Amino acid sequence: MTSDVINLTLKDQLRVLVRLLKYTLPFKGLLALAFSMLIISTVMGVLTPYLVMIFIDNYLTPSVFPEDEIMMLIIAFIIVNVLAVVTTYWQIYLLQRLAFKVIQQLRIDAFRKIGMLGMTYFDKVPSGSVVSRLTNDTQAIVDMFTSVLGTFLMAIFMVISSFVMMFILDVKLAFIALIFMPVIVMILLVYRKYSARYFSHARSLLSDMNAKLAESIEGMKIVQVFNQEKRLQREFEVINEEHYQYNLRTIKLDGLLLRPAIDMIYILSIILILSYFGFLSFETSVTAGVIFAFIQYMERFFEPINQVSQNLNIFQQALVAASRVFTLLDDTRHEPAQLNDEQYKITDGRVEFKDVTFSYDGNVDVLKNISFEVPPGTTTALVGHTGSGKSSIINLMMRFYEYERGDILIDGHSIKELPKEEMKKNIGLVLQDPFIFYGTLTSNIKLYHSTMTFEMVEEAAKFVGADGFINKLPHQFDQKVVEKGADFSSGERQLLAFARTMATNPKILILDEATANIDSSTEEKIQESLMKMRSGRTTLAIAHRLSTIQDADEILVLNKGEIVERGTHDELVQLKGIYYKMYRLQNSKQ
Amino acid sequence: MRVFKNLGWFFKLEKKSYITGLVMLILVALMELVPPQVIGRVIDRITTDTLTSNSLVLFGVLLLFVAILTYIFRFFWRVMIFGASNRLGRTLRKQLFEKYSSMSPAFFGKRRTGDLMAHATNDINAVQMTAGAGILTIADSVITGGAVLVTMALTVSPKLTLIAMIPFPFMVILTSWYGSILSRLFRVAQAAFSSLNDKTQESIAGIKVTKTFGYEDEDLKDFTNLSDDVVKKNLKVAKIDALFDPTITAIIAISYFLSIFFGARMVVADEISLGQLVTFTTYLGMMVWPLLALGWFFNLIERGKASYDRIDEIMNTKSDIGNTVTTDSVPSGDITFDISEFVFPGEDEVSLRDIHFTLREGETLGIVGRTGSGKSSIIRLLLREFDTSGSNTVSINGTDIKQYDIKKLRRLFGYVPQDNFLFSSTIRNNIAFTNPEINTASVHRAADLSYIHHDIENFPEGYETVVGERGVSLSGGQKQRISIARALISDPEILILDDSLSAVDAETETAILRNIEQNRAGKTNIITAHRMSAVRNADLILVMENGRIVERGTHDSLTGARGWYYDTFKAQSLRRNLTKELDETLEGGGE
Repeated sequence: MTSDVINLTLKDQLRVLVRLLKYTLPFKGLLALAFSMLIISTVMGVLTPYLVMIFIDNYLTPSVFPEDEIMMLIIAFIIVNVLAVVTTYWQIYLLQRLAFKVIQQLRIDAFRKIGMLGMTYFDKVPSGSVVSRLTNDTQAIVDMFTSVLGTFLMAIFMVISSFVMMFILDVKLAFIALIFMPVIVMILLVYRKYSARYFSHARSLLSDMNAKLAESIEGMKIVQVFNQEKRLQREFEVINEEHYQYNLRTIKLDGLLLRPAIDMIYILSIILILSYFGFLSFETSVTAGVIFAFIQYMERFFEPINQVSQNLNIFQQALVAASRVFTLLDDTRHEPAQLNDEQYKITDGRVEFKDVTFSYDGNVDVLKNISFEVPPGTTTALVGHTGSGKSSIINLMMRFYEYERGDILIDGHSIKELPKEEMKKNIGLVLQDPFIFYGTLTSNIKLYHSTMTFEMVEEAAKFVGADGFINKLPHQFDQKVVEKGADFSSGERQLLAFARTMATNPKILILDEATANIDSSTEEKIQESLMKMRSGRTTLAIAHRLSTIQDADEILVLNKGEIVERGTHDELVQLKGIYYKMYRLQNSKQ
Repeated sequence: MRVFKNLGWFFKLEKKSYITGLVMLILVALMELVPPQVIGRVIDRITTDTLTSNSLVLFGVLLLFVAILTYIFRFFWRVMIFGASNRLGRTLRKQLFEKYSSMSPAFFGKRRTGDLMAHATNDINAVQMTAGAGILTIADSVITGGAVLVTMALTVSPKLTLIAMIPFPFMVILTSWYGSILSRLFRVAQAAFSSLNDKTQESIAGIKVTKTFGYEDEDLKDFTNLSDDVVKKNLKVAKIDALFDPTITAIIAISYFLSIFFGARMVVADEISLGQLVTFTTYLGMMVWPLLALGWFFNLIERGKASYDRIDEIMNTKSDIGNTVTTDSVPSGDITFDISEFVFPGEDEVSLRDIHFTLREGETLGIVGRTGSGKSSIIRLLLREFDTSGSNTVSINGTDIKQYDIKKLRRLFGYVPQDNFLFSSTIRNNIAFTNPEINTASVHRAADLSYIHHDIENFPEGYETVVGERGVSLSGGQKQRISIARALISDPEILILDDSLSAVDAETETAILRNIEQNRAGKTNIITAHRMSAVRNADLILVMENGRIVERGTHDSLTGARGWYYDTFKAQSLRRNLTKELDETLEGGGE
């Protein structure tokens, strides 16, 4: 629940609208077709009163009905209306189609953008608000395209065509009727100004209220145990009441300036037409058909304005939503760029850190002059307390964050220059908190790998020892996995993550050992498979349990961003420094 | 229609608003009848050359009068009816919030936050629409539709009215048919959208995995497929949705044709005047909206009914924490657990077995054991998150806690939960949760006792620092200590620390426990912990395993017994010393 209340200025709104409309450009054909349908349907729409006028003035008033001329008129009436009906349908449908095409593109662009953004972005922006950019905000834009832009376009066409017809019927009266234009525009501008203010305030109150509600639901246990229900209810009531007050203001504003006002002006326009023709009739002859047609056109002029004014809020809401989507699209916190030098390949898997110094925020260095080498096929373990810099080393190695000072090399090539493809293919990371996707066990191990067969999935599961628990499941590898794999123990999730990584058979393995409590029988399995996974692979491992990395070829002890001890297990024990103390600590039974 | 019956209580409450609103609507409908009549009369007078400037002015004044009155009536019915429906939204929101706050953890365990939120947002919206737009549409259909129809028949011709109305039933049939197809297609489209939503949510939560494997493009493809599906299903909706306008256009055209064709004959036959025919066609246009409104009305109340039922279901759910108050007295005294077996509702396995002990008032109880051994279950029963049944009882001063007023019971406790839930507010507000008006000195004192004061002072905004999703992120230890301060501030009769010292280091733990001991003389404390050091000074220590008490006694007696407690205590002491040594070395290094 984030209440990003944005108040856009008129200029911003215009900019957002133009950018949004640019998305329609790739669909020129569709756009042209929709427009021609719109034009035909509008023209047909204004022809009907004209035909009726001809009938009234030329035939009904003088009471002469020549059969073939009347027949012609009837046929014309039928053609005009059939055309109007058909083109109206297609114009509405095509505009909706266009809207969905545009949104589709916008969604894809936004999703692609998500893939390009770096972890610096995801660290800062709550995932809930990213999700609503992609779904709710884009949906709001759909509403705008379908209900607002369509209405706007139709309104513009209808207003113009009605006026054109009025000018054809009576230039003088049409000119006089033009005075309603500025009045209506002014009403709408005043409305827009206040409604935007009330509306955005009411929305932000609603979002506050929902946030409060959601938080209360999550923390209800605390609320209840501290007997604070009444107070929270009171606080909720305050926002609830204020929200209501703002809604009431919106209702009043709508009542003052929207349909009631527009309809009043419509009646005033009828007074104008009747008086004009009434007084005119004292001098020259005035026909009933013209009055009839004029009133019809006047009505056609007002109806779309009513519709537009009722949709103004959706329009503004959609522009705010669009501006939020565009803000996401314009975000520059990209993931580190790769130079992608295609000739560089990862062959042996030699990893080298050369004097790497790194800071997340530009102020505090979390890594200071880190240098070490992992020869192919060997294991280097990183140990140290929380905040010692272990995870930062892995974050840099995985290109989650960009570094400026020092360099990291694989087989002699800077990881900034290696092709992305090559990196992903050859480096396998096992995250501390294994993320399990919705789907089946197979889909969780395979992910999007295009050539992986089921045998390979099975083999990987077997290799890491996950086959044991998988085979006990009723549907085995096809077992459905619920949200975040909640049905599995953390140890089982860990094994699945292992299998996922091992299925791609990477040359370099990055392990971030789980700190979570894992039941001891699974724990054993995990240790066993870690051992197997490491053998023959260049491994960089963060270890929380020193017992798991005793056989590592080199152990680096980190403290406050620096390597303070390094060597094999035996050497470090001999040294009787930090490692030795950590080791003794962990060896003491829990 | 049943939904209106269900909402009867509200309509009764807002009788005045609704009656005034409806009267206004009737007046608007009557006013709307005037302009077509005037138009017809003016045309008639022009064509028969009987128009005078006097009558023209009179007609103008009449219309002006109508225009102003319509404006006023239109404004007021909106305020009356929409105002009332907004009050309904407000009331329901309030009731639902109160309901939620009265429900037990079992209720929240069974339902997802998202669903509970949906009741408070979408469902309330739908009900509010029923009471606002729903009332409006039915009133408009009946009043405006009826008035126009009657006027057409009375002032022009009943025969012509009948003829002109022939196509209209088809409009009602067709549009409601589209409506039913549409609501089915719309549900399908909505489901597609919600899978897209789920997909997006998951992709963002698992972004690190995707990036690690370099599957951004494949994930995009998957997203694109789902998004295509959304478009496809929405276009199906659009195909039907686009039928409404042309259908209405067609029906009106036919009706127009009929009325002019037959109307013209009547004009020629001198049955009606030309002006009356124009009046008639103008009225015809006014019939469209009431008929459409009828279709919308059924749609609206259908949605409103479903939503009302969902809200009603929640409102009628009884909290499974029974209300069996038999005494007004404020609970105090010894706490006694007498449980031979307890199973959490909805679970198969027995969580607690043979839990029998008494904690004397003013003493400290320590509960230790592995994760899942049943430590927290004891706390949950004491807090009445769940109720015992049968001969299993938890009692204070010999009275089953179920018989005390739950508010009075809860007032005894200062509870520090395992998960350290903090609210998105300032640190001060979080600590002063039980009493926002409490003075700053007390807030500081509580923070001091829980060893967090210093940390807070070091934040840029001190006690005004906002925590939670929109604020700074705190370490687990900081959260724990703020939670402890929140519990300590009210100086509760019974302080409960449910594994709440796990994320603080050994020294802080010792200091906090010492503070508690020194400042809570004569008050009861219950401490569950993984570390034996946390319960060392307790008057009674229970060692739990698989829901049973396996060892009990004081630190000295348990140490003497040389059981699990002793082994664990010894191992942990050793670790503690080693940790201290290591920390000192680590602190010495670095800078």
